[in-house]
Amino acid sequence: MVAAALSTVTLTVLLVGLALALVQARRWRAGRAAAVDLWAGLAALPGRYLVDVHAVVGRTPFNARFHALSAGGFLAALALLVVLALPPLRHPALWGLLALALAAMLAGGLMVGYRRRVLRPAGLSGGRFNRLPLALTGFAAAFLLVAADQSAGGVLPVPVGLALVALGGWGLAELVFGVWNGPLKHAVHGALHLVAHPRPARFHDGAGRDSGLRPLDLETADSGPLGAGRVVDFAWNRLLGFDACVQCGRCETACPAFAAGLPLNPKKLIQDLVLSLDEGGDDRAYTGSRHPGRPVGAATSGPSRPLVGPQAMIHPDTLWACTTCRACVQECPMMIEHVDAVVDLRRFQTLELGATPAKAAGVLEELRATDNPGGRSLDRRLDWAVDLRLPVLAAGGTCDVLLWLGDGAYDLRNQRSLRALVLLLRRAGVDFAVLGAEELDCGDVARRLGDEATFQDLARRNVALLNGRRFARIVTADPHAFHTLRNEYPAFGGRWTVLHHTAFLLELVRSGALTVTAPLGQAVAYHDPCYLGRYNGETDAPRALLDAIGARRREMERSGLRSRCCGGGGGAPLTDVAGERRIPDMRMDDARASGAPILAVACPTCTLMLEGVVEPRPAVAEIAELVLAATEPTR
Amino acid sequence: MPSPAETLLKPLTIKHLTLRNRVMSTSHAPGYGSDGKPKERYQLYHEEKAKGGIALTMFGGSSSVAVDSPAAPWNQISVADDSVIPFFREFSDRVHRHGAALMIQLTHMGRRTRWDTENWLPTVSASARREPAHRNTPKEMEDWDFKRIIAGFAAAARRCKEGGLDGFELSAAHGHLIDQFWSPSVNRRADKYGGSLENRMRFGVEVFEAIRAEVGDDYIVGIRMSGDELIDDGLTNEDCVTIARTYAERGLIDFVNVLGGQARDHMAHAISLPNMSFPVAPFLHLPSSIKREVGIPVFHAQRVTDLATAARAVEEGHVDMVAMTRAHIADPHLMRKLAEGRLDDVRQCVGAGYCIDRIYVGGDALCIQNAATGREATMPHVIAKAPARRRVLVVGAGPAGLEAARVCAERGHSVLLLERAASSGGQIAVAAKATWREALTGVTRWLTQQAVKLGVEIRYGVEATAATVEAERPDVVILATGGRPDRGDFPGSDLAVTSWDVLTGAVEPTGSVLMYDGTGLHHGASCAEFMATRGALVEIATPDRMIAEEVGTTNQPIHLRELYRLGVMMTTNHTLVEIYPEGNRRVAVLRNDYTHEEEERLVDQIVVELGTLPNDGLYRDLKEQSANRGETDLDCLLSGRPQPVPEQGCALYRIGDAVAGRNIHAAIYDAARLCKDL
Repeated sequence: MVAAALSTVTLTVLLVGLALALVQARRWRAGRAAAVDLWAGLAALPGRYLVDVHAVVGRTPFNARFHALSAGGFLAALALLVVLALPPLRHPALWGLLALALAAMLAGGLMVGYRRRVLRPAGLSGGRFNRLPLALTGFAAAFLLVAADQSAGGVLPVPVGLALVALGGWGLAELVFGVWNGPLKHAVHGALHLVAHPRPARFHDGAGRDSGLRPLDLETADSGPLGAGRVVDFAWNRLLGFDACVQCGRCETACPAFAAGLPLNPKKLIQDLVLSLDEGGDDRAYTGSRHPGRPVGAATSGPSRPLVGPQAMIHPDTLWACTTCRACVQECPMMIEHVDAVVDLRRFQTLELGATPAKAAGVLEELRATDNPGGRSLDRRLDWAVDLRLPVLAAGGTCDVLLWLGDGAYDLRNQRSLRALVLLLRRAGVDFAVLGAEELDCGDVARRLGDEATFQDLARRNVALLNGRRFARIVTADPHAFHTLRNEYPAFGGRWTVLHHTAFLLELVRSGALTVTAPLGQAVAYHDPCYLGRYNGETDAPRALLDAIGARRREMERSGLRSRCCGGGGGAPLTDVAGERRIPDMRMDDARASGAPILAVACPTCTLMLEGVVEPRPAVAEIAELVLAATEPTR
Repeated sequence: MPSPAETLLKPLTIKHLTLRNRVMSTSHAPGYGSDGKPKERYQLYHEEKAKGGIALTMFGGSSSVAVDSPAAPWNQISVADDSVIPFFREFSDRVHRHGAALMIQLTHMGRRTRWDTENWLPTVSASARREPAHRNTPKEMEDWDFKRIIAGFAAAARRCKEGGLDGFELSAAHGHLIDQFWSPSVNRRADKYGGSLENRMRFGVEVFEAIRAEVGDDYIVGIRMSGDELIDDGLTNEDCVTIARTYAERGLIDFVNVLGGQARDHMAHAISLPNMSFPVAPFLHLPSSIKREVGIPVFHAQRVTDLATAARAVEEGHVDMVAMTRAHIADPHLMRKLAEGRLDDVRQCVGAGYCIDRIYVGGDALCIQNAATGREATMPHVIAKAPARRRVLVVGAGPAGLEAARVCAERGHSVLLLERAASSGGQIAVAAKATWREALTGVTRWLTQQAVKLGVEIRYGVEATAATVEAERPDVVILATGGRPDRGDFPGSDLAVTSWDVLTGAVEPTGSVLMYDGTGLHHGASCAEFMATRGALVEIATPDRMIAEEVGTTNQPIHLRELYRLGVMMTTNHTLVEIYPEGNRRVAVLRNDYTHEEEERLVDQIVVELGTLPNDGLYRDLKEQSANRGETDLDCLLSGRPQPVPEQGCALYRIGDAVAGRNIHAAIYDAARLCKDL
């Protein structure tokens, strides 16, 4: 009687849940088509879950533990419950197994409760999420008693058993119906997202990292709008990804814009997109942290309504506050690609509406007219280096290292870093050359600001230029150029070995081409550039280089792959959205807290952003400058 | 307007030569030559600017091409024979190493020199017209002089090229031989070299043609010339534009380096080298007028002391290259600081003219505020850190004390500076009260700013005593307590006030005033001017042969001009021997130093300027208990070795006017020379 009731309740709830999930899934079909290899994705699912998702979740071990217990217990319990629905299989041993699974889940549920009620991390959403511990423990405890009772032969009075089934059934319903805008939505959607992920190469079964933006098809006239103006302009598997968000708030905790009080909370941004999937959707029921300074409940949205606008679901300031630092992507256990979404939204704003804000519009105009963001004449790129007499690689010439100068060559401060780098290359006897007036801006800023057309134009011309020169590899001191050349130019036919100067200088020190004669001996904090660390996974070489020159290296709060952005990426200094603080000021606080008198940087943008912080603060030094001082030849 | 860095850090290409930015130093004559050669001192002086980021440094002002234009007596350079070439090679290597270009100025001085020096040859010129400044009447050039001198120019040009110099300019400014031919004020010839402007230009054209034949069209050759002689019978701006255009269009010159005025008399000379009484860039319109008419780069120097003005001159299109010659004497690392975003650290030229005034009395060029300039072999422009940190206490925030504090802080020492007054500056703050001498405050303003920036703790309003000094337990005490006015010890000297009393406002000048100047420096003349501008009826008396006799040739004429304009009566060759009262007025007794006759002046006030006596009370209080008994080891000081460090106790040093009243440069050199090795 109790067992039958249990089975009925379970199967009913699961069937209803499945129906709900299917209804939900229909919404994604409104999105654009995407090339997805579902079978390969399905085959890769367990591995991606166990390796990639767990690597992210495991960064907070407590969460990993409660998740393993509650989710593992729940899944096992569901499987056993389905099996136990067949009366011939209702063996006491199976009931015992079910009891074990539920006990595990109960433990996990209690931990969830502890986290939500006692620890209360700021990034968590409330509302229905706050019922989650109750549902988990209610279901697990009630069914545990039932299972234990059944394995013992059923000693409880039937009404008590039925009451327990009812209680557990409520818990189960709460959990399973939660696939409909509820906490457990992420379980189904997350799994499907792993299957149909738009960047399968990011998983361990692929390249392990995939951060380059995808080219936008600008040639095909009938492929719809450029970028995403409405939520249905996203590909269906992107919509699936947004729907997988469990509102855990890890992105919010990592986001530099959010921390600085800029009107951007990546979690809320994803929810804005999710809510827009429903006609008339609004965010009144949203219970997490807001976009700082922005109200909730003011806008309604729908699949075909404009997503971005002063009155729309996403305020333009929210969209343009993003620095594309990828901290959110790095932290997201659901493998959501926030930055791709931001760039898609920006592409529509810039290419279809011409709505790029503030100084960004002017910079894009300069880029189109002059091929560099400052509107400088290209033949002035080497003005700072007249006395260095840099060899220029002409057509037909050849060199070992092609030094890509980037637009730092136009900037007084970064000219000093470049000068140090050039002196080091000379000191080490490297056969290098530059492109001189032929080098164009790599297009990084244009692309992050959504101006894919200008980016592609620059990319094609740079690729043609570079493919017409002979060199062994490219070295650059600009992580943005490094990323663009290395990861985004291959789509345009440019495939070369590209090195960041820190890796190359490390090579020179290790090979003995540079000799450390005056070890630094001072404490140094190293700030990882986003486009070197998170975008390219390079966090070791700069550290090894600093170690090699005798720096006493200190790690700041938030470093390596979890480094905090300087505030300078993604065109953010151009869109210039106001917040409560400046992002570089916050980052400098991390540096100050390290106590190191020197903050080493490895990116022209970081250099400018961090050196712009008012004193007192550690001195900002480009790594090349430190290496130059440490390798002065002795007389 | 773009930033100075944006405008000035822009290369300029002249033929094959690309200059790294728009700032240069013009050829001048610092008096560092030796045997007519640019040896180590001369080279190090220019190398420092090359290290400091300058694009082009030009040396050898008025370097001679012929035996009747002597160079060695002025410690200048003779390019009249091949023996100079190895020095040029060494020099150009040294400068090129740091990415700068090096050029020289060649000239024949014509009548603008003396005949009674090296070779005892008469001076030559276009016509036998007397030159006022050098008091000589030249020989009118005849055919073989033309041949000889033109050949001399060509041979000198070859020596520059062989010596690896990037180019040279001919001086046709300040009244040298070429512009003596140009100027109707000198050239009265009736042959093909005189009369029309075309004829007057001929000699110069022939010189350049011979040079081109010798070094070719590829070598960079320029000219330095006036844009307007600013005299009635001289070259007008139109003449100068025509000359520049003619020479440029004929392909004779690759750049034109324009200045305003000429230098045939004392006042003209002072105007052509504008001091702090002038606004910045007073003659910028002259190169601008020529730049409009020529297709070659235009250079210009004349009191461009700050980078903002330099940037304006380039950005607005007046010039292509800005020469900041004296600005580089004050701070040879000017351009490096610009490139490094350290504009605040630039030690800006105040226009005191100390550098140039010294060379016209046969001295070497030294900067009033930068003791390292011209002394690169012994004095560093960038102070190195000391091996050990010491606690240094400096008393007195005048130029000596501030420089001591700055250098000690650069050395890494912990520095405490005590100053009795409420602000820094010392005697400079007093001197700067006098009318156009105001810019002197720049000297101590920069030192104060640097000291603060380097972490020197400055306590104002603190009268240092032996007790306060000891309470700080310093390792080193440096007394820069300065001086107090010497009131003289003649009968009735107590009835006079001092120039300090007047300049600080303690005594208001009224009625008739006798200013008695016993030093011949700036102070007496500027105090007289100060009082006259306030309505006093002023007579200035001095035992010297001329008022402000110790003031150099770019400053003294300004003093005299102002005193004449204000109707100040100037009495020379008289010594003040006695003062006695008459009612509430004073009678000054002045004795003629030659006849010993006495004259009396009945005046309302008598102001004396007799220099300073040291404030040495604190020194005497501290001397006995100091480890070194106040002794500065002069052998160590002169050889650049650290002063002996006492086993225990505190070392005591005394610098600047606290030792003996001298001048600003002496105070700063005292401080820098001692402290760089502490």
